[in-house]
Amino acid sequence: MKKFAAAVLAALLLVSTLAGCSGASGGENGELVLYTWEGMFPQEVLDGFTEETGIAVNYTNFDTDETMLARLEAAKGGDYDLVIADDYIIETAIAAGLVQELDTSKLENYGSINPVYQGQFYDPENKYTVPYGAGVQTIVYNPEAVDVEIQGYADLWDASLEDNLGVIGSFRVINGMALKVLGESYNTEDVATIEAAGDKLLELAPNIRLIKDSNTQDDLLSGEVGAAVLYTSQATQAKMANPDLEVVFPEEGIGFGVMAQFIPANAPNADAAYAFMDYILRPEVSAQCFEYIGYYCTNLDAEEYISEEYRDFLTLPEDIDASSMEMIENVSAEALEAHNRVWTEFQAACE
Amino acid sequence: MAKPAGKKRNKYGGEALTLVPLYLFTLLFLVGPLVYMVVLSFLTQADTWGVVPEFTLENYAAIGEPVYLETFWESLKLAVITTVLVIGLGYPFGYFMAKLGPKWKRRTMLLLMIPFWTSSLIRLYGWIIIFRAGGVFDTLLTSLHITSESLKLLYTYPAVVVGMVYALLPFMIFAVYSSAEKMDFSLVEAARDLGASPFRAFLTVTLKLTLPGLLSGVVLTFVPSMGLFFIADILGGNKVVLVGNLIQSALMKAHDWPFAAALSVVLMLMTTLLIWLYRKVSGVKDLEGIV
Repeated sequence: MKKFAAAVLAALLLVSTLAGCSGASGGENGELVLYTWEGMFPQEVLDGFTEETGIAVNYTNFDTDETMLARLEAAKGGDYDLVIADDYIIETAIAAGLVQELDTSKLENYGSINPVYQGQFYDPENKYTVPYGAGVQTIVYNPEAVDVEIQGYADLWDASLEDNLGVIGSFRVINGMALKVLGESYNTEDVATIEAAGDKLLELAPNIRLIKDSNTQDDLLSGEVGAAVLYTSQATQAKMANPDLEVVFPEEGIGFGVMAQFIPANAPNADAAYAFMDYILRPEVSAQCFEYIGYYCTNLDAEEYISEEYRDFLTLPEDIDASSMEMIENVSAEALEAHNRVWTEFQAACE
Repeated sequence: MAKPAGKKRNKYGGEALTLVPLYLFTLLFLVGPLVYMVVLSFLTQADTWGVVPEFTLENYAAIGEPVYLETFWESLKLAVITTVLVIGLGYPFGYFMAKLGPKWKRRTMLLLMIPFWTSSLIRLYGWIIIFRAGGVFDTLLTSLHITSESLKLLYTYPAVVVGMVYALLPFMIFAVYSSAEKMDFSLVEAARDLGASPFRAFLTVTLKLTLPGLLSGVVLTFVPSMGLFFIADILGGNKVVLVGNLIQSALMKAHDWPFAAALSVVLMLMTTLLIWLYRKVSGVKDLEGIV
């Protein structure tokens, strides 16, 4: 009897797996296996794509870039047709031979991409990737709760901000502020320079009320702090909840990160990937996507379609060009160690 | 902790066989990861991500830097403060709970258990609502005209201590309760009849008899408080850096697994040493309920 039950169960399992398989490969013109974080596209865009092309979208997601890389490595660059991930991990993926070169002639709307976000360290010749949204480092503050007019990072050191500043817990960004104030690069690998930035950062400690990574915008909105250095998506949420907040592009220079799309080396359906990339490069569709994810628009032609209420925190001001922007890149293990040490010292000094 | 079947060994091994899953589980999920962690702590961090199998003592040497040693001291300090406060609140609570009638005992027990139905993380978020600017506590104080403006309690050291005490108090209460419940209260009456002052009776009879419970409560409070990093994170605004916070940041932010592993190994050794010292000094071999 038991054996019989087991057999029935096994059979059921097999049938359901098969059903799963056939279900996934639906769509009259095949299927696109999209691999990225959760919530990167509004449902209308995915539906619109399927409706127009007949290609079904199989949206699979990962939590962290590292998970993505591990899965992609295990699949030897196969299984997935299109991946969207962070810049630094793409550099590693390309070096590992997991990414195929793009044939940009297949992308009609390729010219729409904002050149500021191209030619960066992870893909200097734009051979492998198309950007999809950027994180841009800004300062957000409530003019009513702050006595200084904040224009750059140096203003955060102002004594009037005592116990009134909230920052995210990313040490490359926060240590980077001090580096920028000292006129250095985010990506310096010189340990002495990083330590000098650390000393500078210790002077900021009395102003720090909180350091945290999740929902940091809530503390700005509730009045716990008057000014904050936030992740881009948090800055967007803060601005949406309270339009009176000011978003500042720091005068010392702007740090940013890019999320980009690439086709894995052995993608089963690269054509579907090209079709999708081109679809979301369309200015109208693109604008819809960026309003939804709340990251900076990497599509120059799409900017005019971004509605007024979003424009000043999803697009860069006109007077900012590539020369005042710098990506946060991978640095050597030694530099990273120095960052971690400097950061720990800073945190402890904030108490 | 798992104990072997006992002195009487079953000749046929039938009983021993039932222990196989337990041993397998321990090997797989306790010994395995431990060995993995210790090995990891001697490897070198790779330049991009992950590790390269090159032996090094660098990770342990790095812990010797003042900034990292400081976090061990911070953790120890917070653990001691927490434990002392938990004893002050938990001991009388557990003791008097044991003296309640059976009906009220059950009710109190239930009240203590109910919060455990919710994740401790969510309960800590509750404290945010109480502590934050314009939150429950602030509103209460200003409406009573005790303070005129926000106290800014959230993201301070006291907020972390409150969170720690709150999270660990039940463990002390239950440990003391289980000791006090078994206690024969007529012994205290006898001491009083024979002329001991209430204080003396407490010291020589009650405290002595409930000591195993108190001590296991101390271990149950002290050891976890060395590792409860997320309270410092949520209620302290990450400004109190404990070893746990450092491990998390080494792992999640610096992607320096070997250093995180080395920190964990040192933390475990330190805790083990403290428990050993503690048993040595207190002379109590039998920690009720745990060892």
